[in-house]
Amino acid sequence: MDWLLNNPIVQDIITLAKPATFNIYFALASIPIGFPLAVLLAVMKNSGNGLVSRVARVYIYAFRGSPLFIQFFMFYSIMLAFNLSHWKPMGIDHIVMHPLFIGPLVLILNTSAYAAEIFYGALRSLPKGEMEAAQAFGMNRWQTFKAVTWPNALRLAWPAYTNEVVFLFHATALVYFTLPVINEQKDLMNKAGELFERDYNVFLHFSVAGLYFLVISMAIFYISGLIYKRLCAHLDTGAAFKLKPNYMR
Amino acid sequence: MLETLANWVSQNVSEEAGTWFQYFTNGKHLAWYASVRFTLIAAVFGAMIAVLCGVLGAAARRSGFAPLRWLGLAYTTMVRGIPDVLFILFFPLAFEQLVEFVMSRGLCSAEELAGSAWPPCDAAQWYLSTTEYLIMACVSLGLVYGAFAANVVHGAMNSVPKGQLESARAFGFSNRQIFWNFQVRQMWVYALPGLSNVWMLLLKATSFLSLLQIADIVQWADRLGAPNYFARAGMVHPDWRWKYYFVLFLFYILLTIISERIFEWLQRKAGRGMALHGAD
Repeated sequence: MDWLLNNPIVQDIITLAKPATFNIYFALASIPIGFPLAVLLAVMKNSGNGLVSRVARVYIYAFRGSPLFIQFFMFYSIMLAFNLSHWKPMGIDHIVMHPLFIGPLVLILNTSAYAAEIFYGALRSLPKGEMEAAQAFGMNRWQTFKAVTWPNALRLAWPAYTNEVVFLFHATALVYFTLPVINEQKDLMNKAGELFERDYNVFLHFSVAGLYFLVISMAIFYISGLIYKRLCAHLDTGAAFKLKPNYMR
Repeated sequence: MLETLANWVSQNVSEEAGTWFQYFTNGKHLAWYASVRFTLIAAVFGAMIAVLCGVLGAAARRSGFAPLRWLGLAYTTMVRGIPDVLFILFFPLAFEQLVEFVMSRGLCSAEELAGSAWPPCDAAQWYLSTTEYLIMACVSLGLVYGAFAANVVHGAMNSVPKGQLESARAFGFSNRQIFWNFQVRQMWVYALPGLSNVWMLLLKATSFLSLLQIADIVQWADRLGAPNYFARAGMVHPDWRWKYYFVLFLFYILLTIISERIFEWLQRKAGRGMALHGAD
C-alpha cells in the first residue's frame, strides 16, 4: 500500500481532490441561476417588443464579446468600489465580497449570455408544424410555450447547452486568478501553481490538474447524455446522444 | 508636443479639460496605450500559428499512417477536456524547463546535477525577457487554438465536394497535389465561419498575457486604477480600477465588432466564383 501512496502521481491526485471541489462548487452554484436567466434572455431576444429584444441583444453581445477574465476583474472592482459605501453599512460585506459569492455571480452573468444564444437559436428553429398545430387547437400563448415551445427548444438546445456547461466548468479555472484567495480555499489551478512553486515539476502537477478537468468534463458529457435520452424518450428516431463534444463556445 | 497641446486645450477649451488631457497623456497612460501592441501581436501571430497548426492537425487526422492519425485525434480532442488557460500557462513553463534541462547538462557540475534543486545551478537559469515571453505566448495561443482550428478545418475538408477531388484524380494529379491544391485550396470558404469563432476565442484569450509576466493592457489597467496618492498633489484619485476595467471591457467588444465586419467581408470574398448551395 505504501508504494502506491508514495507514488508522486497518486499523492498529487489526493492533494488536488479538495481543490477540485471548489471548481465543482463554482459550476454547480452558477447553473441553477444561470439556466433560467438564459432562458429568460433568449425569450426576451426572441420577443416582438423592440426594446425588450434590444436589451437582451446588447447584454448577450457584450458578455459574449469580451473576455471572462476582464469581466471577473471588472465586477470584483465594482463590488470593491461599493464596499465602503454600501456593503459595510448594510453589514453584508463579508458575504458579498467573498470569492465564493462573487465567483458564481460573474460566472452566472457570463454563462447566461452564452446559453441564451444557444436557446435563442433553438427558439428560432422550432418545428413549424407543431406550432401551427398548437394554434389550431386554440392554445393561448402560455399553453403553447409550456406544451410545445419549451420541450422542443430544450431538446434542440440540449447538446449545445451541455457543451456550454463544460466550458463553464473550464471557466471556473479563472476564478482564483482574479479574486483573492482566502486561506486554503484554493481551486485546481491555484493549488497546482502552488505545488509547482515548491518543486518546479510542471509536468506532474499541471498534468494531474488537467486530468481532473478531463475526467469531470467527461462525467458532465455522460450525465448530460443520460438526461438527453430521457428528453428524447418518446422519439423513436433513436436520437442517441453522441459523446462527441462540440468544439466551439 | 503633448505639453503644448495640453496648454492649448486648457487655454482654448477649459482649465479642467486641460488637466484631464494632461492626466490621460501622462507617462503611465501612454505606456498603457502602447501596451495594446502586445495584445494585437499575440492575437495576430497566435492566429497565424493556429491556422498552421490547424491545417497540420487536420492533415494528421486524415493521414494514412495510423500513429499520426491517433496523434492528430489526441491533439484535437485534448482542448475539449482541459481549460485553455492551463495550456497557456503550461507550454511556456514546460518549454523553459526543457531549455534549462538541456543547458544544465553542459553548464552544471556532476554533483549539482545529482541534487534535487531546480535549475541545478544558476548558470542554467533562463531569465526570460518580455519579447521571449511574448513569443512563447504566441506559440501557446497558436497551439491551443490550433487544436480548435484543426477541428474546423477537418470538418471543412469533408465539405469539399467529392466530385472535385475525383475529377482531379481523373486528371492524373498526385495525392499530395489533390490534397494541397484542391482540398485545402477549396475548404477555406467552408472553414471561415468556424475559423471566425476560433479567432473570437483567441482574441478573448489574449487577456491572459499578464499571467505570463507581460505588462499588457490588463496589468496597466490595474496599475493605473489603483488609488493614486502623491505627497505633492495629494489624492489624485481613489480606487478607479473598475473604470479602467470597464474601458477594457468596451475595448474587447469593439475588437469583436471589428472582427465580425472583417470576417463578413472575407466570407463574401472567399465565396466568389464558387457554386455554393445555401451560402449567402
